[in-house]
Amino acid sequence: MTFVAFIFKNLTQRPIRTALTVLGLSVAVGSMVALMGIAKSFRAAQAASFEERAVDLVTLRGGDAIQLTSEVPEWVVHEVGKWPEVKAIDAALVDMTEMQIREPRNADDVPPSKPVIVQAWLPVNFGFGDMDVLEGRKLEAKDEGKYYTMIGNEFAKSVNKKVGDTVTISQKKFEVVGVFRTSNFTERGGVLTLLKDYQELSGRKGVVTGFSIRVNKTTSDPDAEVEAVRQRIMALTNDKGDSLRLTPQRPDQYLDNASHLKITAAMAWMVSAIAMLIGVISMLNTMAMSVLERTQEIGILRAIGWPRLRVVQMVIGEALLLALVAAVFGGAGAVAATHLMSLFPQVSTLIEPGIAPSVILYGTGFALLIGLLGGAWPAYRASRLLPTEALRHD
Amino acid sequence: MTDPIDFLLYADAVAKRYPDGDVRALNGVTLGVRPGEYVAITGPSGCGKSTLLNVLGVLDLPDAGEVYFKGEPLSKCRALDTFRARQIGFVFQSFFLMPTLTARENVQVPMFEGPLSGRAERAKKANDLLELVGMGHRAGHRPKQLSVGERQRVALARALANDPPLLLADEPTGNLDSANAAKVLDLFSQLQKARGLALIVVTHSDEVAARADRVIRMRDGQIVADAAPATTTARTISG
Repeated sequence: MTFVAFIFKNLTQRPIRTALTVLGLSVAVGSMVALMGIAKSFRAAQAASFEERAVDLVTLRGGDAIQLTSEVPEWVVHEVGKWPEVKAIDAALVDMTEMQIREPRNADDVPPSKPVIVQAWLPVNFGFGDMDVLEGRKLEAKDEGKYYTMIGNEFAKSVNKKVGDTVTISQKKFEVVGVFRTSNFTERGGVLTLLKDYQELSGRKGVVTGFSIRVNKTTSDPDAEVEAVRQRIMALTNDKGDSLRLTPQRPDQYLDNASHLKITAAMAWMVSAIAMLIGVISMLNTMAMSVLERTQEIGILRAIGWPRLRVVQMVIGEALLLALVAAVFGGAGAVAATHLMSLFPQVSTLIEPGIAPSVILYGTGFALLIGLLGGAWPAYRASRLLPTEALRHD
Repeated sequence: MTDPIDFLLYADAVAKRYPDGDVRALNGVTLGVRPGEYVAITGPSGCGKSTLLNVLGVLDLPDAGEVYFKGEPLSKCRALDTFRARQIGFVFQSFFLMPTLTARENVQVPMFEGPLSGRAERAKKANDLLELVGMGHRAGHRPKQLSVGERQRVALARALANDPPLLLADEPTGNLDSANAAKVLDLFSQLQKARGLALIVVTHSDEVAARADRVIRMRDGQIVADAAPATTTARTISG
């Protein structure tokens, strides 16, 4: 028998309590892993998209709390696009709005809706070049004013739409001309329209929320070239000479500073902290009860020569083993939960199924920390038991 | 003058007072046990038998006096747990076997602090010890699947796990019927002879005491008699 086998067998002494503790911890670990995974997948999707499109700089208006509220004059996009050091430009008006699930049945009927991310692009956006058109065609300049849309394949699946159908966005019907797929799941889960049409619809004429550019790199120091373009964009002013307050950033910087990613990450951390607290209390309760119930047993172990450290190892080992099992179930549960959630139309376009391995590893570490913290005090108590008093305990 | 080096275990004027009262559980007890000797400690309840056993087994420390093992004072020993694991085997009245472990696994529990480092070695040793106490055929059974007599034999095998030269037993037959008690006592005798094991047994039982080489009778925390079984009453020590 190994020491680990001994620890495992101790946990089988109270199988129901062990199972309930594992269940509670699994929920704590699973919710943390799921939230962290979703937060990470947001960032990963955007990072992958920037990388695939070889974006060098992402520009928003400085000081905006979230990307959706950023407003950059559209003329800036056309101006910057003419610079010789700019190889390509990609501008978008990004919005989150409501899409009607079905048509109203009568004049008083308010049909249910679901949130949808709208990307309104210039017809010349280089993003069009990177997408796979699964059905129909791409939007073109000649489509302006016709309220055509391309829909992401995840979105198409969630609302059961295809080329030729219409989708009602912000109470305006758009005809679907194509179904596309990109590496960015927020794009795959949303709709794409032409900039002019959506500016008209949303009352934001002459405005984009931001733009990305590829820099024309011709020297041996591409970083310096990118930096020069960045400085030039920052120096842009309006016709009165006032700064446009544009903040061009490298994709990494953008992802680090993006408020919506920060908020998602902060929420994930907050839930993690609560889950950790609940987990530690649960573990503390379980292990304290276990030690109390086994006072005599621990006294015997001390009597037959187990040193205090061995008793600590036993109790901490039991807590860690519980935590490890919870990490496995919690991790598996989180992966299953994201897959399950992606089946629901209400959220399917906002959640990518699956969890990054690094998040699973993080969740395992988190669970082990719960085990360590929750097991520490009971282990200390157990190690302080005097064999003679423990043997008298009844 | 008595030299502790002449004994396996020697208690020199040990005293113990419990902090929750004025009761002197042990009051200057001096006692030597030689290798291979079988000593029974008897006396009325509360006379200090179990306290003496605890002090001799280093489960408790005396307030005064000294306990020597092979002539070395145990108050100087820095690793009393390891000492206990390797030099002393304990047998308790209530067996105290781990309920989730099989007999074979129970016997291996002290071995985590013993010299055997391999899992297979420990399992083989446990099997051998269970054979020795006649429990080889029940090695895979858990305590609740065993009779009380069988449990005590498993507990005895556990006490021998690290081949200690000294076995301490507190009422080892207290929970057994006479047939099972006789089996356990036979085992004690065999082990004493075959392994040269020193035995110190606290007991109320005349049968247990009758098998000992010496019977120590205690009263009020003191030894009042120390002699061969038949002569205990004749050689009462005064004071």
